[in-house]
Amino acid sequence: MSFWEFVSDRWSRLLSESLLHVSAVVQCTILAAIVGVTVGIAVYRSPFGSAVATALTSAILTIPSFALLGLLIPVLGLGAPPTVAALVLYGLLPIVRNTIVGLAGVDGAVTDAARGIGMNRLGVLTRIELRLAWPAILAGMRVATQMLMGIAAIAAYARGPGLGVEIFAGLTRAGSANATNQAIAGTVGIVVLALILDGIFVLIGRYTTSRGLRGQ
Amino acid sequence: MASEIQLTEVTKRYGRRPPAVDNFSITIPAGQIVVFVGPSGCGKTTTMRMINRLIEPTSGLITIGGEDTSKLDPDQLRRKIGYAIQQAGLFPHMTVAQNVGVVPGLLGWDRGKVADRVEEMLDLVGLDPAEFRDRFPRQLSGGQQQRVGVARALAADPPVLLMDEPFGAVDPITRGNLQDELMRLQAELHKTIVFVTHDFDEAVKLGDRIAVLGDQSRILQYDTPEAVLANPADDTVAGFVGAGASLKQLTLRRVRDVQLSQAAVTVSTSDEPADIRRSLQEAGASFALMLDTRRRPVAWVHVREPRMRRPIRDMVSRESTLQDALEAILTDGGNAVVTGARGEYVGLVDIDTVMASVRELRENA
Amino acid sequence: MTAAAETKRATGLRMFAQPIAVVVLVAAVLAWAFTRDLDAIERQSINGPVLLDAVWDHLVISVVVTALVLIIAVPLGIVLTRRWARPAAPVFLAIATIGQASPAIGVLVLFFLLSGWEGLWAAALPITFYTLLPVLRNTMVGLQQIDPALVDAGRGIGMSAFAVLRRIELPLAVPLILAGLRTALVHAVGVATLAVFVNGGGLGLLIDTGYKLSRLTVLITGAVLAVALALLVDWLGTVAETYLGPKGLR
Repeated sequence: MSFWEFVSDRWSRLLSESLLHVSAVVQCTILAAIVGVTVGIAVYRSPFGSAVATALTSAILTIPSFALLGLLIPVLGLGAPPTVAALVLYGLLPIVRNTIVGLAGVDGAVTDAARGIGMNRLGVLTRIELRLAWPAILAGMRVATQMLMGIAAIAAYARGPGLGVEIFAGLTRAGSANATNQAIAGTVGIVVLALILDGIFVLIGRYTTSRGLRGQ
Repeated sequence: MASEIQLTEVTKRYGRRPPAVDNFSITIPAGQIVVFVGPSGCGKTTTMRMINRLIEPTSGLITIGGEDTSKLDPDQLRRKIGYAIQQAGLFPHMTVAQNVGVVPGLLGWDRGKVADRVEEMLDLVGLDPAEFRDRFPRQLSGGQQQRVGVARALAADPPVLLMDEPFGAVDPITRGNLQDELMRLQAELHKTIVFVTHDFDEAVKLGDRIAVLGDQSRILQYDTPEAVLANPADDTVAGFVGAGASLKQLTLRRVRDVQLSQAAVTVSTSDEPADIRRSLQEAGASFALMLDTRRRPVAWVHVREPRMRRPIRDMVSRESTLQDALEAILTDGGNAVVTGARGEYVGLVDIDTVMASVRELRENA
Repeated sequence: MTAAAETKRATGLRMFAQPIAVVVLVAAVLAWAFTRDLDAIERQSINGPVLLDAVWDHLVISVVVTALVLIIAVPLGIVLTRRWARPAAPVFLAIATIGQASPAIGVLVLFFLLSGWEGLWAAALPITFYTLLPVLRNTMVGLQQIDPALVDAGRGIGMSAFAVLRRIELPLAVPLILAGLRTALVHAVGVATLAVFVNGGGLGLLIDTGYKLSRLTVLITGAVLAVALALLVDWLGTVAETYLGPKGLR
């Protein structure tokens, strides 16, 4: 069977695996963003807190994904829980770091003016600081998404969902007729989806960033 | 509507260090501009920021219109105090209209009212709403940003305005124009304004009263500009007033106080060069002032080269000081062009008029 | 607070805390594993020679990958920044970008299926392809950011193009090349845990064995050792970066 015959033959299965892959990555990126931005907000005023948060999250990133997954299996079992936990943990670093850098980079005169005209702390944070840090936060999410697309493939080892299933199936059936087709479909599928997601991030950036911040 | 501000024995300490502001008392009369002037680091900004509680005083009492500010919610308090700072502090992700409308929005005005108010404010600070409403701060010049900053501070019609070196970051000519503009606004609005600067000339020009501050915000002298210039309280103030005190007194005289002269010949941008030359020759003058269709000055034109327009780099208004006029004369040579509220031509100040004022001030001193 | 100062402080923190974490992790997991009641299957994995073997295999793969990356990416980066080769640069960068956007496990499995190889090289070659980008990009950026006036000055005092490269351009680009290399090395150690799938051994073998045979002690020991090794290599890279860069630039 040629690769194209294989793809058309398994189209609906590949499509559903692609959807699961993307939806796992997107949901985990959003979760990581919620956690990461919260952490960033909590620490960005304190140099020490920022250093600890950055050091910890970058240490997490150093951990081999297969090892982390292995450690999560005894705790969380198989399937979705270890996948989600691993993806969220790996997604944290770029988001935490960019949130801190983005928030710390807001011009002091702007926040001073906001306080001075009577915005409360929450108002300054949500209406001024987070809006100004948004391009940086979004860039962090974009990096996280790209990274998670690859890591999600390994999650199939712990019965996680997505295109990684095809890759591992290809591996276990090495020598059989469709093994290579499966591995190609899984690998290329992830690359293509990653590129599409990246394009979507560019669009989101264009539509959610104030024109006043662009081209600076 | 304006309120008197009173600071009574206000002190601000940070830790064990000597106080940044030590036992500071002052009364700022309603409807006047009081300028805090002093070297950088003397505590003038700290003092001002205690009025809207961006900094909380360690001890002492601050009242606005008789009301103790420490009894109010700080955010509510600040919404009733206009606040303008150096480099404007405009929100870069909001349009000009959104920036100006922030405080009315915080106060819960409805959309229509906010929009009307934004138009009114932009008009007031001399920015055409149709042109500027939807621009972002980075699309504005430094001077325009400061105007928007002032419009934002005034948007909710606060009785009190705090201004922290609001014109510190723009070039001298623009600064002069912005100062004139503020004088014009104040003549209309009669706010109580606390203005912080390290520029003594600016203090003399703008202040109804000047508080010259030393270290720890100690008041060295608190008086009218005329009195400070004529009788500095001590050597420090005298040093600050600096050399050329009589020339500085030019900042006490305004263009509206002197007799304006008129250009011998005014021409329009649509006139033919040949016609311009003819009218100049008929009048026996060498320069004509060229006005556009809305009678705004554009350029000087010489009789020998009627095609060559020499742009006017610096103009003054009736509210400008004679010091500004002198600078304009030195910048452009010949005469300073005076414009009215809509930028239209009203007259000229020549060097003889300025010199006559200097002589007069010297005799009176 | 600038981003650079931020990163510097975090790096300082890790320089100090990471070796301690590594020692604690290794000591704790070994003490725990060896003091447990191990059954026959577990004893086959949890013993000195097997563990050392796994670590050794892991290190060999990582070192081979790093050496390959160094041999390929640095010269390639130098060539691609020469004036005459500049048009080719975007092509190579695009290939390397796709390499990094692709899932490591996919690249590994595909290479295994297509080549039929097994063992060290079946793991090392695809991992090399996968980790090439950071070093290539950093080498190119490092060379491109050098003030052209310095190169001019070098040529002006009579240095040959090669001498300028060796004595001016490369030393100035070293900090960025080292940073890229550290990233690549940490990547390599991480991806080397996957070598088990192409019979390349390494600490992944313990994780896989423990998982397949439901022996959590083996799984956890393998995983913790892999984490410790990654943290150690990352720390060594940081130390090298700090002490090997040109002193004037620090």
